[in-house]
Amino acid sequence: MAAGTVWKGIIHFGDTDVAVKLHTAVGEERIQFHLLHQPDQVRIRQQMFCALENRPVSAEEQSKGFEVEEGKYILVDPEELEQTAPENSRMIEVHEFVKTAQIDPLFLGRVYYLEPDVQTKGYAALARALRELEVSGICTWTMRKRSYLGALQTSGNVIRLSTLRYADEVVAVESLALQDVPLSEKELKIGSDLIAQLTVPFEPQKYKNEHEKKLQEMIEKKARGETITVLPPKRLKPTEPDNLLQVLEASLKKAA
Amino acid sequence: MAVQGIWSGTISFSLVAIPVQLVTAVETGRVSFHLLHKTDYSRLTRKMICPEEGTEVLRNELVRGYEIAPERYVLMTDEELESVSPERSRTIEIIEFIDLKEVDPVYFDHPYYLVPSKGGEKAYRLLAEVMRRTNKAGIAKFVLGEREYLVAVKSSEGALELITLHYSSEIRHDTDLAPKKDAVTADEDRRVKKSIEKMMQEFDSGKYADSRRKGIMDLLMKKAKERPPVEAPVTTEEEGEGPADLVAALEESMRKVKGSA
Repeated sequence: MAAGTVWKGIIHFGDTDVAVKLHTAVGEERIQFHLLHQPDQVRIRQQMFCALENRPVSAEEQSKGFEVEEGKYILVDPEELEQTAPENSRMIEVHEFVKTAQIDPLFLGRVYYLEPDVQTKGYAALARALRELEVSGICTWTMRKRSYLGALQTSGNVIRLSTLRYADEVVAVESLALQDVPLSEKELKIGSDLIAQLTVPFEPQKYKNEHEKKLQEMIEKKARGETITVLPPKRLKPTEPDNLLQVLEASLKKAA
Repeated sequence: MAVQGIWSGTISFSLVAIPVQLVTAVETGRVSFHLLHKTDYSRLTRKMICPEEGTEVLRNELVRGYEIAPERYVLMTDEELESVSPERSRTIEIIEFIDLKEVDPVYFDHPYYLVPSKGGEKAYRLLAEVMRRTNKAGIAKFVLGEREYLVAVKSSEGALELITLHYSSEIRHDTDLAPKKDAVTADEDRRVKKSIEKMMQEFDSGKYADSRRKGIMDLLMKKAKERPPVEAPVTTEEEGEGPADLVAALEESMRKVKGSA
């Protein structure tokens, strides 16, 4: 069962308008810990301190500043800031379509399911076209005073809207300063064969979170006052660069 | 290596093991402001306080607790947490490879990069290159803090990108959202497809800017012209306010690889 509607909007492109309702696509439930102060086991709180006077500063005594250079700030009024928020609108405006395969998952953020709103036309046709052409509609919209960039996609009969990260929110590979290490064709060939051997269809249902249950058990054990045997994490010995070819060959033999 | 990792360990496939660090792949693009004291413009620092004692809490006095009853906690050390699944807390073991095209994007959660640690550069390069050639991604599970992550590791411009995936149990069904009548007339189908084809472009995320951010920057420009910037007094303690939400950031780093969505 899908969750409730979070927002309503109208997809617009060319001379097409499709009214939709947004639903969240993912619901996570996990074991949650809190940070405590060890000696008295109380949950900690945060407080802003004035570095000059070394005393707590209440919200009324705070102002917002943008640092233009070290130690120099432009003061900004919260009301003025509020005015920069984009105007709300119901429009999900599609600017262009791209091949879905061109969008690296790195850009994808949160996903919403779109449900056709009452009496809207064209939903099924759009879903079908997105699916058959394997394209995504790059769009922008404003929801709760924030502007979003997103991609309309589908893999079935339901259209999804994924938020996309802006280009400057993604860390460029160049900044990782990776070294280019030469590899022999033989190493690459065996590596590729090995991957081919180990490739299976993607079946998400078969992956279960086994850890959650074990963690729950450990918490219960501790709650009962039982002692926990701490096991050291398994660490693998890194493959020596000079042995890489041999290790790949051994791997391939093992996989075959 | 200049890169500050969130986690370090090894990534393995079959018998090959590569020492790596996990680093973030996204930074929030928000314009960041600092909080200042209204009266003296001194920069505010965020401190953790024990509400009981009203005193500052130092990092080494922090402990992770699970609330079993209101205000009753079971304490858990890092070592105990790593001990829950010791085979996965320092190892990202690729169990199989898949075609990333088969993964419904709804499964993608949060992206990271892996960078090789000393001695791992060659095997790292090999894994990235063969995944690029074969167009495959590795599937693995690993544990960070209190969570187990299902991840896909793919090649991206010579780097290994690690994307956490949702478990299928976390994905909501969408079957009841599909239109009741799926009839699309041939005419309608042709019209929509034609309209899409007219709007086809190459994907280039660089051409879209955040309009909100632009609005804020414009406001700042205007304010800077109206009045010169204020100056903060020099203090001995020049540490700034730290991350936007220190407790959240710490809990985050202790608990999960995931950033804000």
